[in-house]
Amino acid sequence: MAGTSLDRTHPTYIYKVVLLGSTSVGKSSLAYRYVKNDFKESLPTMGCAFLTQTLCLEAATVRLEIWDTAGQEKYHSVCHLYYRGAHAALLVYDITSKETLSRAKLWLQELEKEFLHDEIVIALVGNKTDLMAEREVTTEEGEEFAKSKNLLYMETSAKSNYHVSEVFTAVAQELVAREGEKAAVQRPAPTDLQEPRGSGPRCCQL
Amino acid sequence: MNLKSERRGIHVDQSELLCKKGCGYYGNPAWQGFCSKCWREEYHKARQKQIQEDWELAERLQREEEEAYASSQSTQGAQSLTFSKFEEKKTNEKTRKVTTVKKFFTASSRTGAKKVAQEKIIKQGQLGRERNADNILRDLKEIFTPSWELASPTEAEIQEAKAPSPSINRQVSIETDRVSKEFIEFLKTYHKPGQDIYKQCKLFLDTMNHKKDLSIEEQSECAQDFYQNVAEKLQTRWKVSPEKVEKAMDQIEKFIMTRQYKYVFCPETTDDEKKDLAVQKRIRALHWVTPQMLCVPVNEEIPEVSDMVVKAITDIIEMDSKRVPRDKLACITKCSKHIFNAIKITKNEPASADDFLPTLIYIVLKGNPPRLQSNIQYITRFCNPSRLMTGEDGYYFTNLCCAVAFIEKLDAQSLNLSQEDFDRYMSGQTSPKKQESDSWSPDMCVGVKQMYKNLDLLYQLNERQERIVSEAKKLEKDLIDWTDGITKEVQDIVEKYPLEIKPKNQALAAIDSENVENDKLPPPLQPQVYAG
Repeated sequence: MAGTSLDRTHPTYIYKVVLLGSTSVGKSSLAYRYVKNDFKESLPTMGCAFLTQTLCLEAATVRLEIWDTAGQEKYHSVCHLYYRGAHAALLVYDITSKETLSRAKLWLQELEKEFLHDEIVIALVGNKTDLMAEREVTTEEGEEFAKSKNLLYMETSAKSNYHVSEVFTAVAQELVAREGEKAAVQRPAPTDLQEPRGSGPRCCQL
Repeated sequence: MNLKSERRGIHVDQSELLCKKGCGYYGNPAWQGFCSKCWREEYHKARQKQIQEDWELAERLQREEEEAYASSQSTQGAQSLTFSKFEEKKTNEKTRKVTTVKKFFTASSRTGAKKVAQEKIIKQGQLGRERNADNILRDLKEIFTPSWELASPTEAEIQEAKAPSPSINRQVSIETDRVSKEFIEFLKTYHKPGQDIYKQCKLFLDTMNHKKDLSIEEQSECAQDFYQNVAEKLQTRWKVSPEKVEKAMDQIEKFIMTRQYKYVFCPETTDDEKKDLAVQKRIRALHWVTPQMLCVPVNEEIPEVSDMVVKAITDIIEMDSKRVPRDKLACITKCSKHIFNAIKITKNEPASADDFLPTLIYIVLKGNPPRLQSNIQYITRFCNPSRLMTGEDGYYFTNLCCAVAFIEKLDAQSLNLSQEDFDRYMSGQTSPKKQESDSWSPDMCVGVKQMYKNLDLLYQLNERQERIVSEAKKLEKDLIDWTDGITKEVQDIVEKYPLEIKPKNQALAAIDSENVENDKLPPPLQPQVYAG
């Protein structure tokens, strides 16, 4: 946003972030911990399937809308509906289970089918570092895979609150950085309007 | 707020396939695998042909109609009608009679409608005879005058709306009236931009009136364009704050969609209705699915929870009764909140999506909401796209789409059943509930429990009844045997000791003759007198 007026220098963006991963890898806990820690008073009274969190970054104010998804294998076939129009995705796996990492790789393939590379920010998240003793996936393994696919990578623990807000902040920063690139390049708007993927972030100038 | 990036809303049934024509763009199953451009080309070809056929049909009907009118007194008025009037009718408003003829211009159910329409026309002809010529002339004029001629000038001021223009409001219901009034009241708080919004809405409604023959996808595009343009204009030209823009957009959507609803909800040009019926049938066939099979983390034994479940079902069913997409979304959200409550009470911790989706599926299966597909399609096509892509409402709506997609695809594996069991349940041969009736009884409501108890009682009574009947039969047999036995015994005795009866008369008359020894007897004593 190369605007000159005051409110354009600090815009507010709304981003949709989907949490993907098998059951019991701690998707919900991750989101719950993230929102809970910073905003104790606005605890979700209902559930933690849909959460929002506002971040104040240097370049912009970012509102993250965190969409939790059903991780059971039987819902895999319908889950593509969840990440339609998403701006970022967190692929969560459990470091104590190799299988959850391969499921995360499957999700990544699905995402690659739906999105072009620069349309979505993807982060690979290895959760449950508090269970170090039972670790099955090494940090290097996760890191290497993330690097090969050009993903953000972080190991977290929702239980001991390790790197939780960091991972979301990193995603938000990446999103804002891409917003800046987009404005610099001044790409023309997609011409085929039927394309469902041309959805950029919503932006609120406050 | 920049809405540009989200122009087209979400297309739920979009697949990954490229356009069938190989033009390099993505295709869409709703356009039979073509991209928008190729589909429009194909569609126009087919449509041109269709129109040609419809014209011929209409011409024939016109003749028939004329004959019918000719037999009435009003020959003059009817004959003055030429076929060219039919062209105007296409853009005309749907009055009662036009609807009849209009049916012929839609692709679906053409042959079926033919007969009905012919009958209707004949009926009208008969009716016509009873009326006088003037009346009919006036009626015909009304039918065949394009709406824009009837409409008051489009420069509609806010005050004017209180006396609504006939083009749009000829058939307005009380609800539409109420919504219009609220809308005008609302716009007054926006001053000058409000007037502009009103003008644009009116203009849009007029355009849509003339675009009723377009496909529903094109109409949807028009609406989405309109939402986007108004929002942009409010923001850039009138410098309205984002919150106020959002509020205004909600009101605009309400105002417009209340009026458009009956034309664009489940239109007959699409197969929405067919899909509705298919889903409904599917859910009915799945009536036997238990919460256990879906791993629903909700315990309906707890009265509070079952209360929440009932409320959630009510909400999702209520969705169909709303006209505005946003109101429909609100119903879904309300339903979802009740589901979250139910899970929270059962599990005593906040629900995650892993819990929520199965429960929503269960609620949909249990409630079988009417016209589910039509509602989803309608919301997708005509809701302000920003509502669907982000926000809580959008999240729950997406979940509902997932639930419906899952129900459509549901198989033995997704319920953790063997294929045989699944097939048997689907065909209705057995029901899992009956088999597990013992282990299941606590889950059932009081009425069902009582019913099972009564059934047991009936079984017992039936057994006793049968016993009584069989004993009665035995008694009857015994009785017959006994009678037979007695008869036989008597007969035996009779045979053994035959009864000899001597002739009665003989015995009396010859009572002395029989006395053989009479001769040997001394003569009877004669009375003698002895002097003594």
